[in-house]
Amino acid sequence: MKKNPPFLLIAFVFISVAFSCNTVYQSQTLQYKTYRINSAEQQDSSLLNFLQPYSVNVNKTMNDVVGVASVSMDKKQPEGALGNFMVDAFITMAAEQYNTKVDVAVMNFGGIRLTQLASGNVTTGKIFELMPFDNVLILQKVKGSALQEFLNIAAEKGGWPVAGMTMQIKDKKAVNIMIGGKPLDPNTVYTLANSDFLANGGDNADMLRTIPQISNGYLMRDAILDYIKKLKSQGKNISANIENRVTNAQ
Amino acid sequence: MLNRKRFIRQAALSAGAIMAGPSLLKAAEYFSPLKLTILHTNDTHSRLEPFPMDGGRNQGLGGIAGRSGLINKIRSEEEHVLLFDAGDIFQGTPYFNIYKGEPEIKAMTNMGYDACTIGNHDFDAGMENLATQLTRHAKFPMLVANYDFTNTPMENKTQPYKVFRKGKLKIGVFGVGIEGKGLIPDSLFGATKYLDPVKKANEVADRLKKYEDCDMVICLSHLGNKYKESNLISDEVLAKESENIDLIIGGHTHTFLDNPIEYKNKKGDDVIVNQVGFAGIILGRLDFEFSKFSGKKLAKSHTISVSQKTGG
Repeated sequence: MKKNPPFLLIAFVFISVAFSCNTVYQSQTLQYKTYRINSAEQQDSSLLNFLQPYSVNVNKTMNDVVGVASVSMDKKQPEGALGNFMVDAFITMAAEQYNTKVDVAVMNFGGIRLTQLASGNVTTGKIFELMPFDNVLILQKVKGSALQEFLNIAAEKGGWPVAGMTMQIKDKKAVNIMIGGKPLDPNTVYTLANSDFLANGGDNADMLRTIPQISNGYLMRDAILDYIKKLKSQGKNISANIENRVTNAQ
Repeated sequence: MLNRKRFIRQAALSAGAIMAGPSLLKAAEYFSPLKLTILHTNDTHSRLEPFPMDGGRNQGLGGIAGRSGLINKIRSEEEHVLLFDAGDIFQGTPYFNIYKGEPEIKAMTNMGYDACTIGNHDFDAGMENLATQLTRHAKFPMLVANYDFTNTPMENKTQPYKVFRKGKLKIGVFGVGIEGKGLIPDSLFGATKYLDPVKKANEVADRLKKYEDCDMVICLSHLGNKYKESNLISDEVLAKESENIDLIIGGHTHTFLDNPIEYKNKKGDDVIVNQVGFAGIILGRLDFEFSKFSGKKLAKSHTISVSQKTGG
């Protein structure tokens, strides 16, 4: 260093010229790759150890028996016992959660994620399989005319689970709709327990999009679990029957 | 002015290289391209364990232990690695129902995530819960530039952007979140103000490029890849409307892309958009090579050549 200050000076001048201001780095090439993570991947043992106490507890909770099904219930159209059980849970728990009278509960057929809930012990994990989505149970104040349109979708799609009402399907339309034992009135405003999925226009329920949602974030799965607890506290088992809520008109 | 600090840094380094004994070698190193490896996930949705072996389509895939093993391997091979997540860390398995996101955030800290953005489902157990989980367990920032959390439990728990230094590179990273209306219940979104993501993204990206002097600007986005509805803002819309974003790492729509999408921004520069499905099934890897330019020699518009990485 000491010996060659002139060299340092020359170098500095050289650099000053070569790197005259405004030099930038810019990306020129991109190589991409996607890795599918499977069991062949080297497992990080520290993460496995970290997760272990959580998973022991999660699995224990999932294996908890929450109730007993006295009958096997199937997912069926136009009406099935399993769907009836779910909407019974929704209409009951929505009334309790929002502290109001609820006229009707409807769910989409595709929202039932088990083909059958077998008789016998029902675990928390089973209810998670039945309702894996984190859809929220909400209320909507729906005019009879809009409810008719909404139920036409249920009819067109082969029949959906309903509670608090009965209907028939004719030419892919909902007919003979009875709510609380009375014929649907196009001008009456009904309180509908619904999923945020449908209320947001899911399954082409566009007519519901503009209707305000009353929501406290209560999950539909929690409604089912709470309903089972409620039944248990009343000494009842999990059950539902086909009772001609939705039928095909002859 | 802009590059004064960088110039001095380079000058000092070059002088050092020339003065030093094995000067030629060092000089060669100096002129060789700089590499940056970006690893990313999105919509991991509390999938801490692999999917169960139940005959389902995704059985055995995903899981934090495998993801971490892979990340560690790549980190051992590459000098400059950044690891990001594009939101919806929470919700989807009973882990979340029971622990409200604690193991998810802890695992990300453990894996050395550098930053994430916020997804709509990260609100699911309430803003107070999210704030608690981040404060207690996150050693990485949650970045979002278009949510105003003033007077909510999330106030001061996020930041709009962060600048990372990787060797000689300065990488600016920011986040954008999706509109809460109709997607996040009001009871969860609270007093959060949603601001126009395109406007905020352009503001922040401009700042990162021009004032923070970043060589690359990355947007972590939970807007969604693209939509049929023309009124919805997506990564596609953002990319085309942007000016200073180089890369958008997306989420929300759970889109599995076979390869990153290339768009042209307003100035005609390339913008890369990528997204890797959901549930931690896939880890995305993007290896960038940088060259050094004098401002005068820079092409009018910035183009990047994209290809699939072989091996590794």
